[in-house]
Amino acid sequence: MSDRIYLLPLWIRLWHWTNALLIITLAVTGISLHFADPKLPLVEFALAARIHDIAGLALVALYVLFVIANIVTGNWWQYVPKPPGVLERCVKQGRWYMVGIFKGEPHPYRVSEEANFNAMQAIAYWVIMYVVMPVMLITGLLFLYPEFAPDRFFGFDGLLPVAILHYLTGAVIIMFMIAHIYLGTTGKTATSMFKTMFTGWYEQH
Amino acid sequence: MFRSWRKTTAAVAAFVACVWSFQAHAGDAVAADPEVVEKNRKANEACFACHSEFGFKNPPRTDMDMKKLAETLYDPKVFAGSNHGTMDCRQCHGQGYNDYPHSETGKSETSPCSECHATKVARLEPQYDASVHARLESVKAKFTCATCHDPHIDLGATLLKDPLKIAVQDNKACLECHDSDEVFAKYAADDDKTPGIKKKRPNIDTIHEWLPNTKRHWQTVRCVECHTPEVKANRPLSHEILDKEKAEKNCLSCHSANSSLKTRLYRHLVKDEQDRLGFTNSIILSSSYVIGATRHPLLDKIVIGLVALTLGGVLLHGAIRIVFAIRRKGKKQ
Ligand code: HEC
Ligand code: HEC
Ligand code: HEC
Ligand code: HEC
Ligand code: HEC
Ligand code: HEC
Ligand code: HEC
Repeated sequence: MSDRIYLLPLWIRLWHWTNALLIITLAVTGISLHFADPKLPLVEFALAARIHDIAGLALVALYVLFVIANIVTGNWWQYVPKPPGVLERCVKQGRWYMVGIFKGEPHPYRVSEEANFNAMQAIAYWVIMYVVMPVMLITGLLFLYPEFAPDRFFGFDGLLPVAILHYLTGAVIIMFMIAHIYLGTTGKTATSMFKTMFTGWYEQH
Repeated sequence: MFRSWRKTTAAVAAFVACVWSFQAHAGDAVAADPEVVEKNRKANEACFACHSEFGFKNPPRTDMDMKKLAETLYDPKVFAGSNHGTMDCRQCHGQGYNDYPHSETGKSETSPCSECHATKVARLEPQYDASVHARLESVKAKFTCATCHDPHIDLGATLLKDPLKIAVQDNKACLECHDSDEVFAKYAADDDKTPGIKKKRPNIDTIHEWLPNTKRHWQTVRCVECHTPEVKANRPLSHEILDKEKAEKNCLSCHSANSSLKTRLYRHLVKDEQDRLGFTNSIILSSSYVIGATRHPLLDKIVIGLVALTLGGVLLHGAIRIVFAIRRKGKKQ
């Protein structure tokens, strides 16, 4: 009856949900630290600092595992938008999100074992996982071990650029997460893509 | 050959300087006149002929207790840059040290701080007397102002300016004891539970293990920030070291926009606050990025705005999808 493919091996699903849990933890504690104010207690500062440090180190370890697993399994290839016509496919995908989705048109590109992501997804995921995440993790490590941070920065403490980059990349990841969770509802049904992330089986439209 | 020649020259120099300075009268307490300063500097060379690294390596005499001398060496440059650097050593040490061997009574003739700082001592002493260090008679007896303040080295906060240097100087005083079993034992009283055995020094990083990266905090903030009672802005810090129960444990006292660092470590700089590049507490940011305190309100607004826009965007998109889906259903029927 339904058209199902086994899309996501166990390791990707385990990685995805661990990653999700850590990022949400880091976001909540990170917000508590950055916007620390007696009138606005989200997570208490000392507790937030402790959790943030542990979750941060765990995320670094998970990221290293993720990169290694991607190389070993060849999964990294999924993140590469394949020419020709990357731009056209992105435009088509964008048009579908802006117009087609409301009219009930089908997804413009079929998901397959060879291509898990559409071109737009591949680019977005690539930027998040291989540009934004490394910057966030490296600045996070420098924050934790400030003796490796620069000493001075244009008349300010050398930790300033580290802190600002950490803050901004954190904000980008939170925005990505919001969009990512929402786009998860655009499958066959609102919940089918979430089921895929647990079972590994993908329902075609 | 060369060594003994140098020794002789140094001895002659010391002798000449000693005689010269003996004739010069000790200057006034407020020694600002450049002529007096120069005179004092010259006079002090006599003392530095022995009481410096150079003097120790080139002792002008052979009959000295070198082990004791080794513990009494000062750097003339550091002394010159200190609070009392323009003064003649003998303004505090009296005339008993003009010759060697020094007079027996020399030590008892050292001027107390109050001789020149009467008003300050009157203000500080009651606070100091209420401190944990004055709680036990045996500890109090060994504690003097010079236990924390080296009158030959320290420089007041307003002159030292750089908060990180102030932190190093002021923490050195506390850590000299609280980070050394040997020194701590010299001052500690007997333990309440085990009479006859000294109170054991608790490890300073273990006591504060609730504080992340203690070493970093010791470099950027002072012990007295947390261990003294709150004082009004523009007032000097209290000299009362509080009981450990009353010490500051609330991170937000420093890690928030209205940071207490402004009335403490950065007190002497806040008048220069200019919100550089739009940062709040930019004066703190010049030395330290303090999470929660050194923020950029405009950048925060932009970031909150972008996150809100993303959230609003997806909610709107979702709402439109639902509306269209309902309309499509209606049409089908
Ligand atoms: C010829 C070398 C020499 C000169 C010059 C000298 N001292 Fe000393 N001083 C010593 C030595 C050695 C000691 C170690 C203790 C001792 O042997 O008395 C000492 C000890 C001291 C002490 C510690 C005294 C104590 O009882 O613990 C003071 C204070 C002092 N000197 C001050 C001075 C001052 C001030 C001058 C200059 C006016 C000066 N000294 C010049 C050699 C010298
Ligand atoms: C503002 C007053 C003041 C001035 C100026 C001063 N001293 Fe002292 N000095 C003291 C005090 C107070 C002590 C006692 C410190 C203590 O009890 O630990 C002391 C102690 C010493 C000692 C003994 C150190 C020890 O560890 O036992 C020496 C040596 C000494 N001074 C040398 C000098 C020399 C040399 C100069 C000039 C370059 C000088 N002092 C200038 C106040 C002063
Ligand atoms: C013989 C006089 C004299 C004695 C004794 C003396 N001082 Fe001073 N002190 C001065 C002078 C002069 C200055 C520089 C002018 C000023 O700032 O008051 C000064 C400055 C200071 C300063 C920096 C000013 C400030 O308020 O931050 C401190 C701290 C200080 N002294 C501490 C001490 C301590 C502690 C002692 C005792 C160990 C002591 N002094 C003994 C004369 C003295
Ligand atoms: C337990 C260590 C300790 C002892 C003991 C101590 N001080 Fe201080 N003192 C400090 C510290 C730390 C500061 C820096 C606080 C600040 O920045 O205002 C300071 C600052 C000062 C200042 C400059 C700021 C002000 O309040 O005017 C003076 C003067 C001073 N002390 C004098 C004394 C005198 C005199 C004594 C002896 C009665 C004494 N201190 C004993 C630790 C100590
Ligand atoms: C000369 C050594 C010495 C120096 C310097 C010193 N302390 Fe202490 N401190 C002691 C000793 C000894 C005790 C233990 C007193 C007791 O048994 O109650 C103590 C106790 C304490 C306590 C514990 C009080 C409690 O409730 O148990 C605190 C807090 C403290 N010191 C803070 C400081 C700070 C802050 C400084 C620097 C401004 C400082 N100390 C400098 C020797 C020192
Ligand atoms: C961030 C604030 C903060 C700073 C900075 C800080 N302390 Fe403390 N300290 C505390 C608090 C809070 C306690 C009580 C700890 C407890 O009860 O768990 C304490 C406890 C202590 C004790 C009591 C130990 C015992 O159990 O007998 C000593 C001694 C002490 N501190 C010394 C220092 C010294 C020395 C420094 C500087 C190197 C310092 N502190 C810096 C907050 C601070
Ligand atoms: C007395 C003021 C003060 C208090 C209280 C204080 N801090 Fe800090 N903290 C600082 C300063 C100043 C820095 C900046 C250090 C730097 O320049 O890297 C800092 C830095 C930090 C950092 C970043 C260190 C790094 O690795 O770069 C963390 C995390 C932190 N504090 C957590 C806490 C927590 C949690 C508490 C409460 C348990 C606390 N602080 C209490 C002053 C304070």
